Amino acid sequence: MKAIFFLQWKRLRRKPYLVLTFFVLTLLFVFFLGSNNQGSQGGQMEVNAYTGEGAQEAEAAGWIDRLNDSDSFHFELVDEEQARKDIMDGSRSLALEIRENDYRMLVAVEDQDHQLVDSYANQVFREEQRLQQAEEQTGTADLRERVQEEMNHPPLDLTITSVSGEESGFVYNASLQALFGMTLFFSMYTIMFSLSNVVDEKRQGTWDRMIVSPLRKWEVYAGQLAYCFVLGMLQIMMIFVFFEWVLGYDVNIPLGTTAVITACFTFAVVSVGMLLIGLVRTTQQLQAVIPIVVTSMAMLGGAFWPLEIVSNSFVLALSKGTPIYYGIQALHDASALGYGITGLGGPLSLLILFGVLCMGIGINLMERRS
Amino acid sequence: MLEVENVSKSFKGRNVVEGMNLYLEKGESIGLLGPNGAGKSTTISIISSLIKPSSGDVKLNGSSVIKKPAAIRKVIGIVPQDIALYEELSAYENLLFFGQMYGMSKAGLAAKIQEVCRLVGLEDRQKDIVKTYSGGMKRRVNIAAALLHDPEILIMDEPTVGIDPQSRSYILEMIRNLNIERGMTVLYTSHYMEEVERLCDRVYIMDHGKVISSGTKEELKNILSAEETIYIDFDRVYPAMYDELQHHQDILRASETENGLKLIVPKGSRLLSRVFQITERHKAQVTNVNVSVPSLEDVFLHLTGRKLRD
Ligand SMILES: Nc1ncnc2c1ncn2[C@@H]1O[C@H](COP(=O)(O)OP(=O)(O)OP(=O)(O)O)[C@@H](O)[C@H]1O
Ligand SMILES: [Mg+2]
Repeated sequence: MKAIFFLQWKRLRRKPYLVLTFFVLTLLFVFFLGSNNQGSQGGQMEVNAYTGEGAQEAEAAGWIDRLNDSDSFHFELVDEEQARKDIMDGSRSLALEIRENDYRMLVAVEDQDHQLVDSYANQVFREEQRLQQAEEQTGTADLRERVQEEMNHPPLDLTITSVSGEESGFVYNASLQALFGMTLFFSMYTIMFSLSNVVDEKRQGTWDRMIVSPLRKWEVYAGQLAYCFVLGMLQIMMIFVFFEWVLGYDVNIPLGTTAVITACFTFAVVSVGMLLIGLVRTTQQLQAVIPIVVTSMAMLGGAFWPLEIVSNSFVLALSKGTPIYYGIQALHDASALGYGITGLGGPLSLLILFGVLCMGIGINLMERRS
Repeated sequence: MLEVENVSKSFKGRNVVEGMNLYLEKGESIGLLGPNGAGKSTTISIISSLIKPSSGDVKLNGSSVIKKPAAIRKVIGIVPQDIALYEELSAYENLLFFGQMYGMSKAGLAAKIQEVCRLVGLEDRQKDIVKTYSGGMKRRVNIAAALLHDPEILIMDEPTVGIDPQSRSYILEMIRNLNIERGMTVLYTSHYMEEVERLCDRVYIMDHGKVISSGTKEELKNILSAEETIYIDFDRVYPAMYDELQHHQDILRASETENGLKLIVPKGSRLLSRVFQITERHKAQVTNVNVSVPSLEDVFLHLTGRKLRD
């Protein structure tokens, strides 16, 4: 069995291109998809502001200070001409016109940014207005300080929980979504194409040589499967480690937990591969089937986009039939919710169950064939 | 030492091997002869415990191979019909791996690989990648891989296909030496009569999944010792005359050849003159006549009415 295991590595060294391709593709896709979204997510949004009707320059500067309390936006005071020019040449999609106690927005496109800025500005101006009204009515000078102080000991504390006890809403981190999704997606390719070695060996007769040798049949299977398993695990772990430790992605899962999740997922994928091998007859068929199966599983299972945006209940039901769904779920729960192995029992045991089932059926089909 | 007892195998309801009986004594060299699709490879797969027969049993020293394949797997070396090697590895690496299958130590293997490579005439290029080999060289590695663990029984399925005549002769010689000097038991499959005639003590002739005849080479040829073959060529086809000859009571069998007829007649029946009377009567122009003694090829033809190779 050891000999078979090590032979596969030797063969990989002679023909590493396919596996290397999947590895590099993962890096590229995570990098591209992840960092693309990270720009508008983590960074500040630059907004031009200018003084409009009835507002004084100094007054506007005061508003800008208030507005810049947020980490999400950075407002800059420019003259109106400049603001219009920036919108015209497309470098900005909007600008804020500051009036005496109010604001207007100059908008080129009705997009998400426009709504974000609008609701934020609205909130700031309304708060300020209320404070001013309160000051006028009560006549107290140090009202602001006192409100500030009171806010540290609020009389009411509001916590939102959902029925299932989890935090409501979902935390969508595009870079992690890309990292988890793409890594698992491409690892499925690596694992399944490596498994097609089995079909290849059957075709070229080396499999029969092993079977007629004193080796047990399970040893022959074990050697091949162990290779695919270790290869898959290595690929996933290396990519996670690279993005977390080298590029500083905020994965936030202990290495041990990552390894356990990866192991369960890889096992399930190796098994799905065995099932496919059991179902098809030739290498060509296998090579046609693998991309179809892998891609549709990845789409359904949420590797390309978060399943939270899917509303079709049929598709959601289908997603539960793919190992990648549980893999991503486990990684997400471990990362965002800080779950340990015990907390991940659900998805992990489903992955193992999935694996055992597919493996059993796959090997059975294959053995019945010969 | 090895017995195949009444073995049958069917694939999807089609009988490929039927009621096969065969035995191998220690130190014997046995030929298994038959045309394409006769069921030779299937028989070998059954013997080597690669596939299970639909019925019947294979026994090694009296115990069933089907139930306990471990015993036979230790003692046989198989040369498969199709080259079964890792093309992206060198011959040396291939042999190293296949040797490890038999639990041989690396140190012992290194020496053994050299010996086996010398045996098949493949010393110089063993570190080259198999993909870069010629067909004949691959065949030799294919054979070498079966010899690493000094098998007691060597089973070869058409091992010399695609090898040039000199190399083939060399390899046949090598097998014969293994058989005679080392006492290796050999089961050799082929559809080349000459190979089997040269190499084997006993021969099984298979067709359509059945053994249609078996025995020593002499025994088999004796089947035909009472016959001789007359080839007559004509300038053109004479259907009426062909018909008459084919139904002649003294002619055992007549079949059309490219330029005329092939007649199988009882030995010493002096039929030739009577045949000429008939051709005379039909005003047929004889262009060539040839009388020949039987070969194993003719034995096969006699038994099946077909040629061994088309
Ligand atoms: N796995 C299989 N499934 C279905 N039919 C098979 C299978 N293996 C062999 N056969 C059929 O069994 C018959 C005998 O095949 P086999 O390979 O034993 O012949 P052979 O005597 O070795 O022929 P050749 O000289 O061409 O090697 C053939 O008709 C073949 O089509
Ligand atoms: Mg054959």
